[in-house]
Amino acid sequence: MKINVNTEIALTYLSARKKQTAIAAAGVMFGISMFIFMQSLMKGTNDYFEKMSFNSTPHIRLYSENKVADTHMLNSYLKDSSVKILTNPKQLIQTLGINNPYGIIKEIIKYPRVANVTPQVTANVIYTSGSVQIDGNVAGVNIDQEDKMFDVQSNMIAGDLHDLNRVNNGLLIGKGVADKLSLHVGDNITVTSGTGSPTIMRVIGIFATTIKQIDETKSYANIVQAQNLLGKDRSYVTDIKINIDDYNNAPAVARDLETITGYKAEDWVQANEQLKAAFKIRAVILNSVIGVLLLVAGFGIYNILNMTIYEKIKEIAILKAQGFSGPAVTSIFLQQAIYIGVLGGIIGVIVGFLITLMVSRIYIGAGSLKYLPMSFYTPHYVEAIIFGILTTVAAGFFPARKASKVDPVTIIRG
Amino acid sequence: MESIALKATGINKYFHDPVTIPVLKNITLDVRKGEFVSIVGKSGCGKSTLLYVLSTMDTDYEGTLDINGVQATGKSLNALARIRNESIGFVFQFHYLLPDFTCLKNVMIPGLRLGKYSYKEVEARAYEKLKMFGVEDQALKRADKLSGGQQQRVAIARALINEPAIIMGDEPTGNLDSKNTGIVFDLFQKLAKDFGQTIITVTHDEDFARRSDRIIEMADGEIKSHGK
Ligand SMILES: Nc1ncnc2c1ncn2[C@@H]1O[C@H](COP(=O)(O)OP(=O)(O)OP(=O)(O)O)[C@@H](O)[C@H]1O
Ligand SMILES: [Mg+2]
Repeated sequence: MKINVNTEIALTYLSARKKQTAIAAAGVMFGISMFIFMQSLMKGTNDYFEKMSFNSTPHIRLYSENKVADTHMLNSYLKDSSVKILTNPKQLIQTLGINNPYGIIKEIIKYPRVANVTPQVTANVIYTSGSVQIDGNVAGVNIDQEDKMFDVQSNMIAGDLHDLNRVNNGLLIGKGVADKLSLHVGDNITVTSGTGSPTIMRVIGIFATTIKQIDETKSYANIVQAQNLLGKDRSYVTDIKINIDDYNNAPAVARDLETITGYKAEDWVQANEQLKAAFKIRAVILNSVIGVLLLVAGFGIYNILNMTIYEKIKEIAILKAQGFSGPAVTSIFLQQAIYIGVLGGIIGVIVGFLITLMVSRIYIGAGSLKYLPMSFYTPHYVEAIIFGILTTVAAGFFPARKASKVDPVTIIRG
Repeated sequence: MESIALKATGINKYFHDPVTIPVLKNITLDVRKGEFVSIVGKSGCGKSTLLYVLSTMDTDYEGTLDINGVQATGKSLNALARIRNESIGFVFQFHYLLPDFTCLKNVMIPGLRLGKYSYKEVEARAYEKLKMFGVEDQALKRADKLSGGQQQRVAIARALINEPAIIMGDEPTGNLDSKNTGIVFDLFQKLAKDFGQTIITVTHDEDFARRSDRIIEMADGEIKSHGK
């Protein structure tokens, strides 16, 4: 067995004070395991909310938006290299709706990363039943595509969503709407849009998401029905909803689609600002907690080393008298910090994993959330180890440097 | 011309606590290779202080110090540490072993630090040194479990582990009975005569001093006599 003499001295000092070593390592363990647990909880929760948001939001939504006049019409008219300049451009009213939607959909499908595309007609409406009126909106969709992209089926609590294709004037309403107007499957409901005439529709199903606001306003109708409600023709489409292979690419794909189609493409990140804000706030809270934990762990190490150095100052002087250089002494004490860190770190990673596993089995059963969403994500473990090492080295560095500066003569003379 | 192991020229040293007082006054001193020198003088005359300067541990002095023909004065602390590890064995006035380690480890540590021999060889050599002073049976005991005299012998064994060119002792036999003092003296003499190692010891033991090659007498921070 060939170990470096500095290592041997470091290990001897650690084992000579087993209790303090154990306490310092426990501090590191606690910090690291909490780091892993909280990261897992946060990522799990974030992922859950993200997934939930995709039950109602597409990765990218294409719609027309009022915009400032630009040279694009001029460009297509004068296809030469002349420079086109607009002076004093103004906002242009768009005709609300997408021109040639099915042509655009064909275009979009050609784009490699796109997985699903479906058109939608959104109509703001007033639901009336008896004397009660409530505001809401009707999403005119192709229900089969809609179900494929957003798993509408999983939210169904009554009726059959496919009836939307079969029943003329069928309407699939949110649970909140149903409750407020005391409607059941098979009942009639009057739907009035701003531009069309009141239409009597038939409730063919009731759905419930976890988002109350949606349940209290939204309903699905066949896309043709929605066009009728608005008094528009078959080519009228307000949104094109697009899902892509990996939602993390949504911002980039959205930018491309904007250039391809000339319409506004909003990715889910923009559409869910509040979700992102919540993620950020959670991240801040989490990082402060973790920071404090690691700081405490660091202080544990700092403390034990300072104590060791205080007690061993004479021995440090002897080592230096015998030819141990400053860097050798630094190495002796830094190694002690590192071994405490490694010991605490390894146990911490294991304990962190076990806590995560245990908590992921706690039943909470709130809405569609049965168990706490915990993620088991390897980078968390890697990060925990890196942070652990950094904390340990930082905590060990100052005492070790102090030790390396001990002047042997002053100490030995007494 | 015989080669010089240690040469000190015009060493002055002051303590500033509470007022500046000179402790070493213009000390000039040559010690030849293989010479066995004793430094004597009244308590408080500056013997330990001088030895710390000569051992390169203390760098806060005026004058110059050459070890084996190389100037030590002005070298970096790390370079001096290397010189001490390789060329100087030091026995402190109050033994000073590392209490958490066994006696054997205490002797081995400077040897492991030097890294010239393998762990096994260092261990064998350390054991052999302990044997020379009759403390081999204590080898695996923790150092703080030994008697004062035993600890001092372990400390001397430790000073010899790297076969240093110069061995310095601050009353290395202060804690020893006459029998063990005799053993240490004979060994020092042998190291000087047979192996050309240079010995510089501070001692209060007149007999010990008289039998060494040369006596340097100090008084009040000055060298009164360089001996023959
Ligand atoms: N840190 C210090 N600050 C101030 N004065 C000191 C300090 N250390 C030693 N001295 C003084 O320097 C002088 C020389 O001390 P030193 O230890 O060299 O004496 P010594 O000859 O070894 O004595 P002894 O035989 O008792 O060991 C003494 O007068 C002592 O009081
Ligand atoms: Mg002294």
